[in-house]
Amino acid sequence: MPQIGSVISKFYTEYNTKTPKKLKVIDAYLLYILLTGIVQFVYCCLVGTFPFNSFLSGFISCVSSFVLAVCLRLQVNPENKSQFSGISPERGFADFIFAHVVLHLVVMNFIG
Amino acid sequence: MFSRFVFLLALVTVYFSTTHASIGGYICPSDKKKLFAVLVKALINEEGDFSTPYYGVKGFKLLNEQLPTVLVKDNCAHIKQFYKPDSSPEENFQALTAWNLLGCTGKLQTDATVTHLRTILENTKASTAEIRYAAEALKLLNIAIPNGQKVAQIIQSRLKEDDSLQSLGHALHAAALLGTAGNFILDRIEEVVVQADEVDGKLLQWEGGLTTTSLLITGLLRIPGARPLTAEQAEKLAAYLLTRRTVQTSKGALALIEAATSLAVSDVTPVSISIIDILGRPLKTPPSPVVAQSATRITDDVVVLSKQPLSPGANPVEFVLPLRLEPGQYRIALSAGTHSTTLTVRVLGPVTIEWVQIGLSDADGSAAPRLTKLQHPSKLPAALHADSSQHLTLKLSISRVIHQAFLRLYSGKKEIIFVAEPDSSKLYKIDVNLASELAHSGTFEMELILGDSVMSNPLRWTLGTLEANLNIAEPQKKSVRGPKPEIKHLFRPAEKRPPEAVSLLFTGLTAAPLVLLLILWLKIGINFGNFTTLSIPFHLGFGGILYLFALFWWKLDMFTTCAWLIPIGGFTFLAGQKLLSQIAKQKKP
Repeated sequence: MPQIGSVISKFYTEYNTKTPKKLKVIDAYLLYILLTGIVQFVYCCLVGTFPFNSFLSGFISCVSSFVLAVCLRLQVNPENKSQFSGISPERGFADFIFAHVVLHLVVMNFIG
Repeated sequence: MFSRFVFLLALVTVYFSTTHASIGGYICPSDKKKLFAVLVKALINEEGDFSTPYYGVKGFKLLNEQLPTVLVKDNCAHIKQFYKPDSSPEENFQALTAWNLLGCTGKLQTDATVTHLRTILENTKASTAEIRYAAEALKLLNIAIPNGQKVAQIIQSRLKEDDSLQSLGHALHAAALLGTAGNFILDRIEEVVVQADEVDGKLLQWEGGLTTTSLLITGLLRIPGARPLTAEQAEKLAAYLLTRRTVQTSKGALALIEAATSLAVSDVTPVSISIIDILGRPLKTPPSPVVAQSATRITDDVVVLSKQPLSPGANPVEFVLPLRLEPGQYRIALSAGTHSTTLTVRVLGPVTIEWVQIGLSDADGSAAPRLTKLQHPSKLPAALHADSSQHLTLKLSISRVIHQAFLRLYSGKKEIIFVAEPDSSKLYKIDVNLASELAHSGTFEMELILGDSVMSNPLRWTLGTLEANLNIAEPQKKSVRGPKPEIKHLFRPAEKRPPEAVSLLFTGLTAAPLVLLLILWLKIGINFGNFTTLSIPFHLGFGGILYLFALFWWKLDMFTTCAWLIPIGGFTFLAGQKLLSQIAKQKKP
């Protein structure tokens, strides 16, 4: 048990010191989306899915935003630079924004 | 049961002939009534021509009937209004004939009429029909036909070009009007007669139907000094005419009447030695003696009487033969003078009901049926109450075997008819299994129906009511007409929503991570260091897009949203590109 505790604390310090600030911002954002999605899912389990389309659009919005944010994080991460050599972080951000515009047009259409 | 059958010879047309078969039937009063109806319609339905008034008036005249005064006045006015001297010869003839027969006051024809008709007679191009009608019209006006020989020549040359039956028919009529000049037509008569078609060996007609046949009959019989038809042919033609008694057009009706009249007055008509003629008119000198040579029952060929003279009836042509015979069908051979014929007659007789029993019996036959005796026309004193385990039983005994004995159960418009099975010795029985025959419970009237072709007192007798209780309710009546039941649209009801508190709680929970995000970001040390004036347009544009989406959610439709999205998105794209490329540039060095 204390070993697990030491692993976690080591992981936390490593993360705190070695991760760039931008990625921390994105991670916070990912956590936020994750929690929002979980709350919606819990609601659906406890209360019910009615109105189904609203639930679905909210949940899909969370999942898709999470996926898009993960994509952005991968592209922005300096460690992955070799794989995304042609794509600057700004280009990644622009794609992220564009994908969100399209995604939320659909989500708004579906929300009812 | 003997019956007295009065046989009125005057009501049956008999074409007597020593060597030929005879036919029955004539244009009886009811046929005449129908013909009159057609003719009156012709007199009322006036269109611009004279043919319908002509058909009507001429028909009435031939049947010796008076026209109503109103119709006379109307038709006179109609003819006066539409008559033109230079119309076709047929119209001229029809108008003048109708005018004469109606007895209208004044003169219809003018000098122009006469001139016009004369020019037609001299015209070598005129058809035989035109020549015939022109000649008829002149004759009607009492004007001699000028130059008969020349007209005869024209007719002959026209016949060479067109020798159809119609054309020949008109030529016959025209030749009859020409006197001796028309004798050329005698060579043609045989040619016309052989063209007649025989149907089944019973009817004779010319191709072209009633109108053509009538035209040719009247034409042939009009020729003076000719005996174109044999008695046998005349009989068959008359038989044909009788098949067309129900003709519905005024033209056909007149054709029928004309032909029949023509046959009736000609010397070849078989009717001339019968007791009445084809139009039902009595003959002046009825032949005698009238004797029933024999009467034979058709079913078994037993001769029931022979050589019985008929006693004179109410008028000179009516003879009465008292028949004291069993009801049934008989063939009677009659002779009048030297002529004979055979008639089929039906002797009717009443049927008496000896007794009727009706009641209910058990299906399994365990108990004796409870039957009630009834006397015609009494009814059952109380309704019969039946359940599904019972049979309805009806027994009746009548004086002789009949063809039709039915029991009818009815209720409103629904009815079920059961056939009575003849038992032995004129006893009829009906046994109705109520459970299998009736579809549902209900109250039914019971009616006994007895009938036969030789029964003089056919019977419908309401016996009483039957209340059947079969444990199957009567189905609800569906009205065929009237409004249908209103269709109520029901949208899917909204599902039960959670209490407001739960909803609000979860709204709060969903929003809570946002607060966490802001806290985390503050902790991480978010800053707006890169925020320059250049980034304002981009943020405005992006904010605009989000606001547009919110509007889309609230009220806009997809089309309006897309229309707004394109300019705003384009602006945001340009601003974003500028901003991001600026940031990228700053980084590089």
